[in-house]
Amino acid sequence: MQAAAVTTYRRRKRLGVIMRHVVINFFMLVILLPLAWVLLLSVKSLPDAYSGALWPQQFDFTHYNYVIQKIDTLPTNLFNSIYVTAATVIITTFCAVLGGFALVHLELSWKNLLVFLFLASLYFPTRVVSLISIFEIQRYLNLINTTSGLILPYVTLNLAISVLIMRSIFEQVPKELMDASRIDGCGPWKSLWVVGLPLAANGIVVVIIVNFVTAWGEFLLGATLTNDQIVRTMPVVLASASGGMGQWAWPRIAAVYIIVVTPGIIAFAFAQRLFFKGLMEGALKV
Amino acid sequence: MATLTSTNQAIKSRFRLTHLRYTLRNWLFLIPALFFFIGYQIYPILRVFWLSFTDYRYLSQDPPRWVGLDNFANVIVDPLMWDGLWRAAQFTLMFLPGTIILPLLLAILVDRVTHQRLATFYRVILLIPAVIPGTLVFVLWKWMYNFQIGPINYILVEVLGLFTPQTAPQWLGGTALTLPAVAIFEVWWGLGYHAMFFLAGLAAIPKELSEAARIDGANEWRLFWHVTLPRLQPIMAILVVLRFGSAMAVIDEYLIFGGFNRASPTYTWTIYMYDMAFKIGQWQQGYAAAIGWIGAIAMMGVVAILLYIFRPRD
Repeated sequence: MQAAAVTTYRRRKRLGVIMRHVVINFFMLVILLPLAWVLLLSVKSLPDAYSGALWPQQFDFTHYNYVIQKIDTLPTNLFNSIYVTAATVIITTFCAVLGGFALVHLELSWKNLLVFLFLASLYFPTRVVSLISIFEIQRYLNLINTTSGLILPYVTLNLAISVLIMRSIFEQVPKELMDASRIDGCGPWKSLWVVGLPLAANGIVVVIIVNFVTAWGEFLLGATLTNDQIVRTMPVVLASASGGMGQWAWPRIAAVYIIVVTPGIIAFAFAQRLFFKGLMEGALKV
Repeated sequence: MATLTSTNQAIKSRFRLTHLRYTLRNWLFLIPALFFFIGYQIYPILRVFWLSFTDYRYLSQDPPRWVGLDNFANVIVDPLMWDGLWRAAQFTLMFLPGTIILPLLLAILVDRVTHQRLATFYRVILLIPAVIPGTLVFVLWKWMYNFQIGPINYILVEVLGLFTPQTAPQWLGGTALTLPAVAIFEVWWGLGYHAMFFLAGLAAIPKELSEAARIDGANEWRLFWHVTLPRLQPIMAILVVLRFGSAMAVIDEYLIFGGFNRASPTYTWTIYMYDMAFKIGQWQQGYAAAIGWIGAIAMMGVVAILLYIFRPRD
């Protein structure tokens, strides 16, 4: 009698585990299928792409080569994106590390006010409201319709959250460690470099990834502050491209899409261990 | 005596000087961040606030005139402003519950996976959409919903046979389905990322707590309701407030999906502001500035209420 009850209990528990994995895997499929679809679209032959059928009758792997060679603005747009994103990530990370460090380990008045302002800017629809004035500033600085000009407003897109992430990361670094380094004769620059940075490495990975994602895919400012195809970044080009014939046929823009989306996913796959550590160390506690 | 005072003063002023030097050096760390934060966030917001009291038109030769509260008075009775706010609120109501509840459910399931490798594998997949930039998500789903090549209608028509090609749903271009279509992929986009937030919260719940509750005879449902949920409340509060803010201020998606058709449900207050500032007539940026600020104030009002509802109660 007892044994039978135990067996039923075990069976039910087992059923529960199986059900759980079924549901989880369903969600995983929901997440992955759209990406798989666009990947598949990029290797469909033209007739298959336009028939809409999910699985192609004939594969065609030439689209990648085609878009690089035949769409003459594309390499420039790609380069623009790489350039703007790299500059944005470097500058923002630099600002965030110094700022976050200062907000925790240096003596400053108005610290709380600064933290409040950074936090408040996360809740305020800053991106939308400031647009008119950012356009004005860029025009004043003669930066309208330039690729480099985009870097300045791009830096601020995630600046507040980056500073706050680095602040909560540096809060995990014990004050005693900093004091000890100071007694050993380190100034704040040196104690940041020698003591702070190695302990904040995972947080820096989080900041880099967050800023990469935003800058790599920014649309609103890119579309508003530039006019010519040649100075634009990839997301603006992709958003305005709609599948027609010739250069912008569906499988071809799908190939462009894959070229643009892959670097981020690969970089994340390599950095994921550090990224998760960074998240758990306090990037999620902001 | 006199020399002593002067030495004292010298020491004091020397001390002050060093102190000043320390202060300056410390502020040096914040200067790069503050340069961008003030230059491209604080100043623009205040500048737009100032513009909202003028009749500034970008393409006009006339210098802007101070018009006091005229813009605000006009925006408040502007039916397009109210439609715009209501449309944004409709989207928020469609989007917000899904983007909180589904990731919570998913996180609770993934949290119980004990197989270490499998757990890591799930987490990596969960975060893949989060490392895809927004615009690329919008473009991907714009194609997914496409009438001609999109797999969604293909499945609905050809595979499931729910519709004929004539009656197939028209997702894009400002139909009644456009806002739900945007809400669906926004939920998809946040699914993994928000689940990670909840997973971090779940990891912080001591295992003894749920074990004790189980021994006391609590079933899974009561455990969830009385142990898990209260512990996750702070995280949920942050997510609700942040996502409320981003949902009310959505602009990129509507620019890509709806354009500037005033009858479209995607013509919200943000699009109205953009339209006024950069598209229509003489680019009435003074009026657009007032639209932006009133939208922001309305949002902040709700944010304040939400923060009050979710206030820590210990």
